[in-house]
Amino acid sequence: MNDEEEGQDIMSVIKTVDICKTFAIVEAVKNVSLTVDLGEVVAIIGPSGSGKSTFLRCINGLETISDGEIYIDDELIEKRVNGHQHVHMSRERRAQILLRTGMVFQRFNLFPHKTAKENVMLAPIHVKKMPEQQASKIAEEILAKVGLADKFDEFPSKLSGGQQQRVAIARALAMEPEIMLFDEPTSSLDPELVGDVLEVMVDLAKSGMTMLVVTHEMGFAREAADRVIFMVEGEIGETGTPDEFFTNPQNPRARQFLKSIL
Amino acid sequence: MKESLDQIFLWMPVLIEATGTTLTLTITSVCTALVLGVFLALGKISKNPLISKPATAYVFFFRGTPLLLQLFIVYFGLPLIDDSFTMGRFTAAYVTFSLNIAAYLAEIIRAAIQSIDKGQLEAARSLGLSYGQAMRLVIIPQSYRRMIPPVCNEFIMVLKDTALVSIIALNDLTFQARMISSNRASALVFIPTLAIYLVLTGVFTYVFNRLEKKYSLYE
Repeated sequence: MNDEEEGQDIMSVIKTVDICKTFAIVEAVKNVSLTVDLGEVVAIIGPSGSGKSTFLRCINGLETISDGEIYIDDELIEKRVNGHQHVHMSRERRAQILLRTGMVFQRFNLFPHKTAKENVMLAPIHVKKMPEQQASKIAEEILAKVGLADKFDEFPSKLSGGQQQRVAIARALAMEPEIMLFDEPTSSLDPELVGDVLEVMVDLAKSGMTMLVVTHEMGFAREAADRVIFMVEGEIGETGTPDEFFTNPQNPRARQFLKSIL
Repeated sequence: MKESLDQIFLWMPVLIEATGTTLTLTITSVCTALVLGVFLALGKISKNPLISKPATAYVFFFRGTPLLLQLFIVYFGLPLIDDSFTMGRFTAAYVTFSLNIAAYLAEIIRAAIQSIDKGQLEAARSLGLSYGQAMRLVIIPQSYRRMIPPVCNEFIMVLKDTALVSIIALNDLTFQARMISSNRASALVFIPTLAIYLVLTGVFTYVFNRLEKKYSLYE
């Protein structure tokens, strides 16, 4: 983080203004505006196909938005009108700024030809140009922190889903992001393995990490989130504190959704 | 029968010497074609039509025309355009085979790269790796194992296809066998020749199987 930014009390890590994403003729995300402040944990919930994951993927550039603006640390990095880019920034600069976001995927996406530790070390060595010894030390520390001190040299195929996802979280954390984006991190896990991953995420939230979490785990949203966003049909249907949202949802679709899952 | 066996032993040194040419041609042209093939494959995958179209045209041409004609054009045809294109027999064969095999390997490599889960590239990109780094460190290493069986297949085909060069009188295994056969007016020499080809393909099949095992360690 820059020194000048540290002085401010409130700073938005991520701000999106009227983001739209259209696939061919399907409007997956419609005019979504969201601000995530430093240290905030925001949970995005909603029925499948409501554009939650697409929205998350737009933020770090895995999907290219059709319209709207994206700010990271109050710096405009993407502004599109009808698909045309209106921000002139070098590719390197944008990549540099996007390094402040870390992402965890539903299906882990660990590199299967690398051990747990090598997975975590790869980006620090090749992107941050960190010496191998230092990267190794950091990888071991972070893996130990997510409870995998005895799995450094295992290949992903030898790890359980929960362990793989924790390696994936460690891999993203090794780049020291300001915000962690989670795309349904527990949705492809066996039920008995969900707890381990959620525990790591709750610890991370408590440590002050800014997090934007697309999830179906209502328990996590209720306990760890500062704010819940309910998305439906590509739009934000309702937003509120977990207490407000879970006890007294205003949006009829939100009421219906909560009834169907609880 | 006794006499024939003696003859075979007599021919062996000459045949084995010619095997050297066959092997050198096969290995050097496949290695060159592998390098060329990676670039052609990445070219075909590229979203930039200025890169993908020429790569596609290259593969179309070299897969779509007979290897023998390509060899004739390089060896006999090019020198007609300009004297500086005149090449020795081995060089002409090496150039033709490399260019031709590259087209086939490009398709094998492209298929292997594209069979890797898209999530791998996304994960690499989300960690800040450039497209080139993601390809080099994440995607291509994973595609090795998937390439090995079809590359082995291609390699063995090439080993046998090199017999074509006997037509431009390059002293390979088949050429030598034909020489002996016409000198002695006997077809017997083709039997040990066949055996040599079989031993070579056997050895390479073994080597490729070992490679495949080595690269599937993590699975």
